[in-house]
Amino acid sequence: MDRVVDELGLVVENGFLVLFFPATQAALVFRVRARVNKGFEVFDYGPLPIAAGSALTTYLGGSAVAPEDGVLPPYSYTGDVRFPAIMGLENVRDKSDVWYLDKDDSDRLFHVKVSLSPPIIRADVRIPSGVSQIRFQRERVVGGVDGPLGFSRGSLEVVHLPGLIYGYRFGNDTSLPLKVYSRFVYAEYVVETPRSPELIFDVLQRRVPSHWLTMPVTYLDPSIRSALRDVYGLSEPWGFRLYRIDERDAAIKEYSAVLRRLKV
Amino acid sequence: MRWLFTVIGSASPTGPGQSGDLSLASPDVHGPFSSVRLPKGIKAKVWAKRLSGTVGFTLLVQFSPDATAPSPSWTTIDAERLAAAGSLSLEKRRPIVAHFKTGNEALKLSYADTTGAGTIYAVVEVEASDEDE
Repeated sequence: MDRVVDELGLVVENGFLVLFFPATQAALVFRVRARVNKGFEVFDYGPLPIAAGSALTTYLGGSAVAPEDGVLPPYSYTGDVRFPAIMGLENVRDKSDVWYLDKDDSDRLFHVKVSLSPPIIRADVRIPSGVSQIRFQRERVVGGVDGPLGFSRGSLEVVHLPGLIYGYRFGNDTSLPLKVYSRFVYAEYVVETPRSPELIFDVLQRRVPSHWLTMPVTYLDPSIRSALRDVYGLSEPWGFRLYRIDERDAAIKEYSAVLRRLKV
Repeated sequence: MRWLFTVIGSASPTGPGQSGDLSLASPDVHGPFSSVRLPKGIKAKVWAKRLSGTVGFTLLVQFSPDATAPSPSWTTIDAERLAAAGSLSLEKRRPIVAHFKTGNEALKLSYADTTGAGTIYAVVEVEASDEDE
């Protein structure tokens, strides 16, 4: 049985994780060398980081004020939210964002599954913070929690790459001021890129099982280019492009060139 | 998506024959509210109902197809009556289902009380889920 993920949906040790970027039509392929929090994956964060008194935009065109910490007023949505360090996590690298990994943490990834209570809350994530990544009909429409499409309800799955700040957004399209709590199931992976171009080709052809996650990146923001360059040593083609199964030789040649540049 | 939440309603009629809306509260909601509007594409199932109060207290589950209208119309989609003072617990039966197709629909709890004064309570369990679940 080729089991790549465990019962929590996290990649097992020695499993492969593929992060596919629609913007570049290329993927990063990692082998999980270790999961440093194995057995301790649940992190009950608590109320969403919405401060009482903060003003939120509404779907009706106006604004609403959060009446209490963690409360999302009716028909309102947040701007980009980061998850600041809560008590006991003050020593994280960036106190304003517990999921932030520095560019020096190039062999680390956070695989984060966010669960929201109540699960009717809309959620999306912008990579980097402030840059909408959901598109409809090429560039004609930008989606997200503030629109009719481009969001999920109650949960999100995302992998945090080093050197990038992510912005989570949440929306409440009910008539109720909802108390919103977040819970994370996460893995802190120690990763490396397989050094065999043949293996990478087989992973991307899905001959070798992997956990395949399409990153919500439809626009290659300069900060993403910068992170991919500084953290992984990548440049165009920004990862391993997908080839047809009959293009194995061309793929192996290109993957070999990418591997020579890769730092991780 | 599946959200099971508890709605607690109460009212204090001051005399016989009164009716009105219950003031609602929920552990998931900040402060009191009078009705629930859910997004389009969601359906709400009203599962368990628990009533307590004086004899004759009738709990009405009411649905409006457009609660944004200046004078919304409300239809009673379920009614339960206390035949004697005390409490009544109604569980393990088919749910009442309300469909939110435009996002303008709403549910509320009302009461009709035929006997007199005293605080009445109603607790209902509501399950909101995607229409195709």
